[in-house]
Amino acid sequence: MISILTRAVMMSTPLLLGSIAEVFAERTGMMVTAIEGIFLMGAWGGFIGTFISGSIVVGLLTAVLMGFLMALLYAFITVYLRQQQIVVGTAMNILAGGICAYFQRVLFGIPTTPLQISVLEKIPIPILSDIPVLGEIFFEQNILTYIAYLVIPVSYIILFKTSLGLAIRSVGENPEAADVSGINVNRIRFSTVLVAGAFGGLAGSFYTVGYLGMFTTGIIGGRGWIAFAICFLGNWNPKGAVFGTLVFGLAEAISIYLQSTGGIAIMPNEFVIALPYILTIALTIAKRSFNVPAKLGVPYLKES
Amino acid sequence: MAENAVELHNVTKCFSKVIANDDVSLEIGKGEVVALLGENGAGKSTIMKILYGLYSMDEGRIVIDGKEVRIKSPKDAISHGIAMIQQHFSLVFPHTVTENIVLGNVHGWLDLKEAKEKVGMLAKKYGFPVPLDARVGDLAVGVQQKVEILKALYLDARILIMDEPTAVLTPQEAESLVSFIRSYAADGNSVVFITHKMKEVMESADRIIVMRNGRITGNVLKSETNERELARMMMGEELEVESEEEPIDVSKLPVSIEVVDARKKNRDGIAVLDGVSFSVHKGEIFGIAGVSGNGQDEICEAISGNMKLDGGKIIFEGKDITNESVRKRIEEGIGYVPVDRYKDGMVMEMTLSENMMLKSSYSEKWVKNGFIDKKGIDEYTDEVIRDYQVKATGHSDIAHNLSGGNQQKVVLAREIDAGRHAIIFNQPTRGLDIGAVDRIHRAIKGEKRKGKAVVVVSTELTEIFELSDRICVMYRGKIMGIYNRGELTTGRIGLLMAGVEDGKA
Amino acid sequence: MGKREIPSSVKRGYLDALLFNIGAIIIGLLISAMMILFLKQSPITVFSTALGRIFSDKYTLGEVLVKATPLVFTSLAFAFTYKANLFNIGAQGQFYAGCISAVSISLALGGKVPTALLIVIVLVASFLSGALVGALIGIAKAKFGANEFLVSMMSTYVVQAVMDFLLRTVLRETKAEYIQTDPIVREAFLPGIVPGTRIHLGTLIAILSAIAIWVLLYKTSLGFRIRAVGRNSDASEHSGINSKLIFVVAFLISGGLAGMAGLTEINGVQHMLLQNFNSSIGSFGIGIAILANGHPIGIIFSSILFGFLNVIGTTMGRIPGLNIPASIIDLIQGIVMTSVIISYFIRESVGRRREKRMLKSGEVEA
Repeated sequence: MISILTRAVMMSTPLLLGSIAEVFAERTGMMVTAIEGIFLMGAWGGFIGTFISGSIVVGLLTAVLMGFLMALLYAFITVYLRQQQIVVGTAMNILAGGICAYFQRVLFGIPTTPLQISVLEKIPIPILSDIPVLGEIFFEQNILTYIAYLVIPVSYIILFKTSLGLAIRSVGENPEAADVSGINVNRIRFSTVLVAGAFGGLAGSFYTVGYLGMFTTGIIGGRGWIAFAICFLGNWNPKGAVFGTLVFGLAEAISIYLQSTGGIAIMPNEFVIALPYILTIALTIAKRSFNVPAKLGVPYLKES
Repeated sequence: MAENAVELHNVTKCFSKVIANDDVSLEIGKGEVVALLGENGAGKSTIMKILYGLYSMDEGRIVIDGKEVRIKSPKDAISHGIAMIQQHFSLVFPHTVTENIVLGNVHGWLDLKEAKEKVGMLAKKYGFPVPLDARVGDLAVGVQQKVEILKALYLDARILIMDEPTAVLTPQEAESLVSFIRSYAADGNSVVFITHKMKEVMESADRIIVMRNGRITGNVLKSETNERELARMMMGEELEVESEEEPIDVSKLPVSIEVVDARKKNRDGIAVLDGVSFSVHKGEIFGIAGVSGNGQDEICEAISGNMKLDGGKIIFEGKDITNESVRKRIEEGIGYVPVDRYKDGMVMEMTLSENMMLKSSYSEKWVKNGFIDKKGIDEYTDEVIRDYQVKATGHSDIAHNLSGGNQQKVVLAREIDAGRHAIIFNQPTRGLDIGAVDRIHRAIKGEKRKGKAVVVVSTELTEIFELSDRICVMYRGKIMGIYNRGELTTGRIGLLMAGVEDGKA
Repeated sequence: MGKREIPSSVKRGYLDALLFNIGAIIIGLLISAMMILFLKQSPITVFSTALGRIFSDKYTLGEVLVKATPLVFTSLAFAFTYKANLFNIGAQGQFYAGCISAVSISLALGGKVPTALLIVIVLVASFLSGALVGALIGIAKAKFGANEFLVSMMSTYVVQAVMDFLLRTVLRETKAEYIQTDPIVREAFLPGIVPGTRIHLGTLIAILSAIAIWVLLYKTSLGFRIRAVGRNSDASEHSGINSKLIFVVAFLISGGLAGMAGLTEINGVQHMLLQNFNSSIGSFGIGIAILANGHPIGIIFSSILFGFLNVIGTTMGRIPGLNIPASIIDLIQGIVMTSVIISYFIRESVGRRREKRMLKSGEVEA
């Protein structure tokens, strides 16, 4: 039981980083629909960085850079060229898939044995990890999980207790008002998406550097979209994102557990795999009052 | 004036379809109140938005305090002491009053305590009581405007620009705004207010700049002009005084629309329709006056079926249609020109033909076996373009390439055709130039003479008086009274609009 | 403020759109060709060898249309809801629903009923199963105000799980060796229409469907209502159009279109159903719809372009000694799409600037 929960916290890590990044972007009115591609680029960046340099730190930095670059292209086309966000996101996701698959081959050819990297080690935090039950669940995780812990309060404080957060929230609700108040709407949107991309890249790297130790083009398998969904379901609030993330992390941990222990006898494996997606649909339908940023998805155009 | 706070020299600005400002030069003195007067679309807001950095000019220079400056964004303008209050307020509704006031003017931590103290002081000085922790979206428009003004004061603005500041105010609120403007200017600050209402100009301005078609057509001191001269500068022609129509006795006419005790609460539980009852007869124009936002839009939406009532009934031609769909009501012959044609009246990206058949997609008129009779609708649209003198090249023009007045003519033609028995016009001439207004007024009167029941909602008293056979005044979702045209004076209707019972102060 | 107006010139708009699109595609292809340099190969050699192979071989040339066929359906699916301002990102799942029906019926009835009848039954069934998935999404949107983008996105994963479950259980091949179905009998195949290629009747059905959708959207009152709701749902509601019903109808037809790809792929190409079958036609469908700006006739040509890119990618991979990976297809498609999207912006701003210039030079009457 404890191992399932430990696993749940671990599997929540990328979803948390990704969904909070999405919360920030969407608060400015920008849906990062390229998030699946950003995750993938991050996963790939983490892998090649680590594999080539032998250093996980370089790997993580490469992941951040890849996510950032993907977001740069996405943000440029959506913010400054004002193109439809869902349409551009689709193109970016296809492009990311192409880049990873093609350049994986350019870099490594056709390897005879699967390429492996060593994954991030668990770092038990002294004292805290000695707490019974909770210690094992929360404080024997890898560095990415601890980064995610830090991101929760920091993101909340930035969003609600600083002038930057006020600007971010205003830009998504009423860009004209922000503009009139001397805030550069497009610059806030653009830079927030870039930061979200960097965190999205870090989130993606979890799947290679933090978990599997290898790269395949299907490694993300819709988890970027789940982070996207959590942002909606968490009502565009970091607190909501934390809660949503844990639910999905738990579903994923149970799924992995059942697959590994032959729980198929209880219910079909496929159902367990589909659980997070069914959950998303159910919650999307059930949830009534959304606090959706008023100008979500709408480009800002000053004059016509 | 001894010294100019702002000078604009030879400013030209083109939008993709319009030359909005054509070689405009003007100056604003220190301590001076300048009214920028003109019809909608004359270019008044554009020139001020250029000064405030919201629009970039194609050509021209800006001089502030004798020095040439470049203003590329509102941030630059704010740093030169300029503040501008937009016609549609620039407030973030889910945020608090204080958050709105400090937006763009705080750095680092959000220290609202200090801000609140300063705002509280300013509020006291100018007599603006505002709840600092309330959500702006919950406040009445009059209070929201005070928040906007406080924001400008918080920024230590020396030059305050206000775009149509009285549009949303009751006459009494407008008066208190004017007294604020006077005392603010007395401190040496400058005020520009953009308006198309002549009365206001004569009350509060020191100097009046008149614009028409993107150019300045007059620049006069108030003491040296009169309303007639201003009107000529604005319109380019003398205002025609409409000859009064024969008063009619509606009691002899059959009833068409009957609204019985209509009730509706909005999302916050505030009554927007609070027991509204009236009936409209065939062959009369029933005018509904009031400051906008007092339930007029809701009553139109209720009659046309776009809003469900919480209580009460709508009877049309003797039938209870309270629970009928919009489609059914259209089939019954109710036409409706909604207040916002961009949002509710037209599909701007579609052609004129397509807009023409918007309401007939279910009827057999232009649809045979599910297929559209394109030739029929195209020919009909061309006919409308001719009859209503719509400035367009033909039926395949895209709606949004037309000017506002021409778009409105298309909507009007469609609704006059669809409204076989009754037509509701909500602000039919808002934002249109004088020529278009005249043509539309004539069309509305024509429909009345055909024996249709006509409802006209307007916030412009001149329009109400010109068209209506009977006038009702709405205030906070209630009817203050129903009067024959002759019974009301401008003063009395102003008090009724402000909620004073019987219009006697 | 509309004081001076430009008469709209619709014709020039269409020509501009076409030229810009073709230009953007060519630029995208050139950038993609550069990518071959990373493999230390000459793009010119690679492309000319691949093109030579495609055009000298009737079978390979035919593959262009074979690959294009399902893409016509999935991109029509996206474009159709897009016209109602809705996003159906779940064409992949609706396609799988169509596949499940197509393979089940073909296995059950193949050889037992005449081929023509069987094809008709499968056609209807695959449409209906995709339409069912689509309609459910539409209902979630109309009745519960759910975000259709999210729901349709997630629905693909759910349908895929159902498909995997069926493949592992009731539909599994008799040998029970792989997770796939038995092949369907020859009598259940869609007949070929060009000898010497794999081009089958499904290609014709796809082209006819695109034309039918064009007629539906632009010539019928239902299509008019769908487009009106998509452009402005408030004005449509004010005109008595039930926009929620339109949501459901649009999603139903959209899902049905994606489902029909099940017929063409199961009965026309693969003749069996396996895991991860054609797993990217859903997202490519979106790309193609974007390329064609949502126009049904344009979709036929964009699908052929994507089919061609697909074949050229596979052909490159098969040229001995060059060692070009097939994954270059995804890269090319991504780059071409990005290039086309950017061209939309350039077209808009060129148009705006031209209007402004005309206005200033006084070409237009006040």
